[in-house]
Amino acid sequence: MRYLFISHDAMTDSAIAAPAATPRPFPWRRLALDAAALAVLIVICALIITYAFGNGSQFLRNLAISACIGSIAFSIIDGVRLWVWRDERRPHWLAFAALVGVGVVAGQVLGARLAGLLLGMELRELHTLGTTRTSGMLLFTLLTTGGASLYYTSRDRLIRAQAAAAQEKARAEAIERQALQAQLQLLQAQIEPHMLFNTLANLQGLIALDPARAQRMLDQLIQFLRGTLSSSRAETTTLAQEFALQEAYLGLMAVRMGERLTYSFDLPEALRGQRIPPMLLQPLVENAIAHGLEPTIAGGHVTVAARRDGDRLVLSVTDDGRGPDAGPGKEGTNVGLANTRERVKALFGARADVTLAANPGGGAIASIVLPIDQP
Amino acid sequence: MNDKTTALIAEDEPILAATLAATLGRLWPELAIVASVGHGQAALERALALQPDVLFLDIKMPGKTGLEAAEELAEQWPGSKPFPQVVFVTAYDDYAVQAFDNAAADYVLKPVSDERLARTVRRLKERLGTRPAGGGMDALLEQLRALVPATAPAARPERLSLIRAAVGNQVRMIPIGDVLYFEALDKYVNVVTCDGEALIRTSLKELLAQLDETCFWQVHRGTIVNSAAVLAAQRDELGKLTLQLRGRPEKVRVSPLYAHLFRQM
Repeated sequence: MRYLFISHDAMTDSAIAAPAATPRPFPWRRLALDAAALAVLIVICALIITYAFGNGSQFLRNLAISACIGSIAFSIIDGVRLWVWRDERRPHWLAFAALVGVGVVAGQVLGARLAGLLLGMELRELHTLGTTRTSGMLLFTLLTTGGASLYYTSRDRLIRAQAAAAQEKARAEAIERQALQAQLQLLQAQIEPHMLFNTLANLQGLIALDPARAQRMLDQLIQFLRGTLSSSRAETTTLAQEFALQEAYLGLMAVRMGERLTYSFDLPEALRGQRIPPMLLQPLVENAIAHGLEPTIAGGHVTVAARRDGDRLVLSVTDDGRGPDAGPGKEGTNVGLANTRERVKALFGARADVTLAANPGGGAIASIVLPIDQP
Repeated sequence: MNDKTTALIAEDEPILAATLAATLGRLWPELAIVASVGHGQAALERALALQPDVLFLDIKMPGKTGLEAAEELAEQWPGSKPFPQVVFVTAYDDYAVQAFDNAAADYVLKPVSDERLARTVRRLKERLGTRPAGGGMDALLEQLRALVPATAPAARPERLSLIRAAVGNQVRMIPIGDVLYFEALDKYVNVVTCDGEALIRTSLKELLAQLDETCFWQVHRGTIVNSAAVLAAQRDELGKLTLQLRGRPEKVRVSPLYAHLFRQM
């Protein structure tokens, strides 16, 4: 199961998570929500100043002053925060503390002056730095602003965590869906009635013509059916098992195609035990035969290989048939390749890929690249 | 009928070919299998060379399908010889079995059952005994006419009114009415007008689905002709039908499959 674990770097730029390539627009909605919370806070501050610090009179005056100071401090702090860090990244605490400091002083001085202008009175003791009253009010503004900022950032952190969890959940669901889809397709495609019919037709013929060969063919069919059934239920399989399955499949195809099909395998000893998702190779081998070799009169050769390339595992199916540009060799949407690609991208993110290219020596080469766990 | 009845088997899977030959050996001991080939082109060549009485043609073969091989054989068959009886061999899903039944074609399904093949053998013997000259070909053409459209894609609602063909580094716009005929060339289709030719990358089959079938007629496996551009149809000394077009010197060949389009009124 190590192999199916999704690491964090795979999470950041996976096929399922939305890519963060484009800069996000300014979060106006977030600013509006913050402003609504601010309005509540301003009323609370005015109440505290009027009834806790003061004598219970002049509530409206205090509300106006609170509103001016709070709005300016808020505009500077929350505006800059959302502008620089948007609502998805955490600001650095030192930068943020400096921002709060600037916001508080500016809010206190400018807000008090603005309130004075609006109310038509001089509020010198509220905006001249150095007076005791100003210092006290400054401390009060700092505390409330700091508290509000803490509230905003912690709430943002929560939202970020929720978004990450939702994304993770979506990924997990997508993987589950892919796995389920792959399983269904396996059952449909692998025990494809067409293939089974053709194989049985050959078997029927061989029983009369060459009973010993018929016996061998039947053994291969049993091995193939058993392999597809067990691997469609398992989470992972080993490369050795996957190769054995392909050997059974190609063996059956070679009986059908006679001299038109030869095949070989290249599986290094060190990779035999490597675990991979089941049935990755099947659609690629089927394509090589159906689109590459079967339509040609001469037929050809299929090579199934695995190799290690640093921290990547490269599986390849090479044929010397018609090549990838020849068009489909038989009716059928070319879903095998696309499905396999989707499947590995869902499991391993951007570190995995499935490609189909022209083989320099003629024919096609289909490759699957998977991240490999370091020994 | 003192010489033995002969047959050719065309089947790309060697074991199935051997099985069919063995089963025929049991059910029809006096039938001689004179050739067993693995693809359509070989079937065509060997059938022309050996002129067997019966052909067993697998539908799905590399290169040419059994239907294409039969059609070409009808085109190239020397008129003096009786045309072979054709039996199609098909896997259960290659073609709608319904189509074969509708076409009244002789066909056997893979895996071949003795019972079914025995019935086919009886029918073949009857027909070979009372064979009118050339009757075989008419029957086959009748079957192919019913079978070939069944394998063509359904006509699409949108009609092509303009062909966009790349010529050098420009895209040439050809109004569909200007096209005299379309001719299949490997992966391309050659679009022929009065004043030139251009290649488009499509298949004749796909193209046919987008054309108005009252104006554009398929006259050959590889040719669709604008009926308004046909000046005359004539038989040459070999009995092959060709078309003379307005504004082009070359003649267009008509497959026997489509000869009925040019009968006199």
